[in-house]
Amino acid sequence: MNILEARAVLFSSIEGGSPFWSGEIEAVGPVGVIEKSEYGSYDSIKFGKTLERIKKSDPSQILEKINQSGGVFITQEDQFWPTQLDDLATPPIALVVRGAVESLHLPALAIVGTRNPTNYGVRVAGDFAAGFVDRGWSIVSGGAYGIDAAAHRGALVAEGATIAVLAAGIDINYPAGHIRLFEEIIENGLLISEVMPGVSAVPSRFLTRNRVIAALSRATLVVEAAFRSGSLRTARDAAELMRPVMAIPGPITSPTSEGCHRLIGERAAEVVTSVADAVEFIGMSR
Amino acid sequence: MTLGESLGVALVGLDGHLVRVEVDIADGLPGYVLLGLPDAALTESRDRVRSALVNSSENWPNRKVTVSLSPAWLPKSGSSFDLPIAIALLAAQSVIPEERSAGTLYLGELALDGQIRGVRGVLPSLISAHKYGITTAVVPQANAVEAQLMTEMKIIPMGNLRELLRWLRLDQRMKNEELPLSPALDENTFDFSDVAGQERARFAAEVSAVGGHHLLLIGPPGAGKTMIAQRLPGILPALSRREALEVTAIHSIVGGFSNRSPLASSAPFVAPHHSATRVAMVGGGSSIIKPGACSLAHRGVLFIDEAPECAIGVLDSLRQPLESGSITIARAIGNVTYPARFLLVLAANPCPCGKFSGRGRNCICTSQQVRRYFGKLSGPLMDRIDLRVQVDPLSRVELMAPDLGESSEIIKGRVIAAREVAADRFRNEEWSLNSQIPSRALRTRYQPERLAMNFLHTALDREQITARGLHKIMRTAWSLADLSGHNRPNLANIEQAFLLREGLAP
Repeated sequence: MNILEARAVLFSSIEGGSPFWSGEIEAVGPVGVIEKSEYGSYDSIKFGKTLERIKKSDPSQILEKINQSGGVFITQEDQFWPTQLDDLATPPIALVVRGAVESLHLPALAIVGTRNPTNYGVRVAGDFAAGFVDRGWSIVSGGAYGIDAAAHRGALVAEGATIAVLAAGIDINYPAGHIRLFEEIIENGLLISEVMPGVSAVPSRFLTRNRVIAALSRATLVVEAAFRSGSLRTARDAAELMRPVMAIPGPITSPTSEGCHRLIGERAAEVVTSVADAVEFIGMSR
Repeated sequence: MTLGESLGVALVGLDGHLVRVEVDIADGLPGYVLLGLPDAALTESRDRVRSALVNSSENWPNRKVTVSLSPAWLPKSGSSFDLPIAIALLAAQSVIPEERSAGTLYLGELALDGQIRGVRGVLPSLISAHKYGITTAVVPQANAVEAQLMTEMKIIPMGNLRELLRWLRLDQRMKNEELPLSPALDENTFDFSDVAGQERARFAAEVSAVGGHHLLLIGPPGAGKTMIAQRLPGILPALSRREALEVTAIHSIVGGFSNRSPLASSAPFVAPHHSATRVAMVGGGSSIIKPGACSLAHRGVLFIDEAPECAIGVLDSLRQPLESGSITIARAIGNVTYPARFLLVLAANPCPCGKFSGRGRNCICTSQQVRRYFGKLSGPLMDRIDLRVQVDPLSRVELMAPDLGESSEIIKGRVIAAREVAADRFRNEEWSLNSQIPSRALRTRYQPERLAMNFLHTALDREQITARGLHKIMRTAWSLADLSGHNRPNLANIEQAFLLREGLAP
């Protein structure tokens, strides 16, 4: 079994973001992990289900399935691999991507926020996306309604590259209302997924997905976020990677700006009020 | 003489057809035949007319009676034919002078004791009859006030059949008092001075009244959305006589279900509950096509609270009347068009539970619920709404402020002044309100200043607004210009109109 096949097997068997398996792959390499699992070196009670999946996996079938979904399987060994992901404590075992892979090599800004933005948030997300694209950056975000979609649309209007990191399989259009947006992104940017095609989105995957958004980007911008919001998790992931985190302030009476104000108040994010501001801040923190 | 005739009116929507009621009393087995497509209520008129005649000491012919309502092809309904049938029956028996009974319009339902009861649709019936050249009408006493609005005709209100017959035979009336024709006191006693704070929503209401722009108010429960909507008719100019006639005619068709005074000259305020059906909203019905809420709000305000709670399709059914100012309802018995030029005011909570304001920490709605909630306000409908404002909960300062806000009287003064400026500008045009300027005219002779247009074109290029949105903003800007005394919208007017529509105002 070569290294690509080993990664394919591990990719389909292990949920992303597991510190134990990431440590093992780091220590003995993907092929080593497969061999150790065959010798029974792992606790068969604790890791029973994962070991079962590894045992049953057929690497050629897995790669065939990814091919059929229209995706491309890329690993750390690939020339296209975004090396910024290796800063993560738990880097993805591999990624399935679809679209223009070159987008991965532009400096990227993550724009995240609520799924229920106000017009203010939609407008600011779009303006910042367009502004950064004009300066030769790409935009990274999730595939959800709200700020995510506004950021992608802003980048597409400015004819730039935009990257959507999905929590579901590359061939699952989730949310379904974004089929056309995803098609446009494939043409001008990239869809990325850390799970096998056909796998549906469950809540825990959104959280592990957020770390990929943070790690792919040079900086993270939170546009609008409620007091409890998944985008705050992305901001924390970015801060852990020592990447700049910025937040857009809003009216203090607006519940959708509450999370941004919390980040600013905790000194976890820098206030930015214009694209120029943001570019300057990112430049300073490098 | 065994033939008698009189006149009634059959209403189809607001249009009335003059109906000739003919009675023939012939030899043969005693019987009664009613021809001319009567509905159930009209078929039952036989027994009402018979009892009313007998109890008014008149004779019921025990012979073969044929009653024909002509034109025969037109379906007729309701109880307002009781009176013309009774008169024609008496004329056929030659017990009333023919020269007085013929040529007069009769409207009214008969009670068994001969009382004449009120009916629906008296005013539109009279208006139609007048078009046919009828100059005299006998109406029920109960509808007298409404009928007096038709000043072009001689109106004779009658309380019972005996009284009517005395007038027909002897030209005598028991009491011949003229009813006063002064408008009733305005039932809308809500005043804007009761609304604390809410400067932005008040201003939006004012702009809405000036140009006839539709309004959406979003805010938590108790912030004052309903208060503001209820006060909107109070700052609209009083209806002209022609407009008041139109409004009363529509309300007359609904009859007792409408609580509007027939003489009121204030703009109507109609607030259907969000459980209303599509038929309740736009009108309908199988035997009589009745006007819906949107026609009852003609020349006034249609307020829908909790608009996203409306059933699917109900709000969207308003799109046609919003566009054309009228609603055409097609049913098996025919097509009816009612006017429906209303000011739409929608109110919505910030989320289904209503608590997503301030810090929003008590809100229990998922983002999907919120999206679904506002998804009910469809894109095409929202696109027709020019003013969208957030109504924030009252702050302490606003609540404690000692001086009241401006009264409706002052605001109304500004609205009337601005409307006069617009009316003067549009004196050679087919429209009178800023919201009605056609987009062609906006691109040519009613174009805002150059700088203002540049702002709009930039917004269009950045896909912040649609082409329709661009025109809508220009219309609102005209109203803002009229309010601020500019003779052409400038950049500030356009920016403000943009903010009012896109909801970005700080």
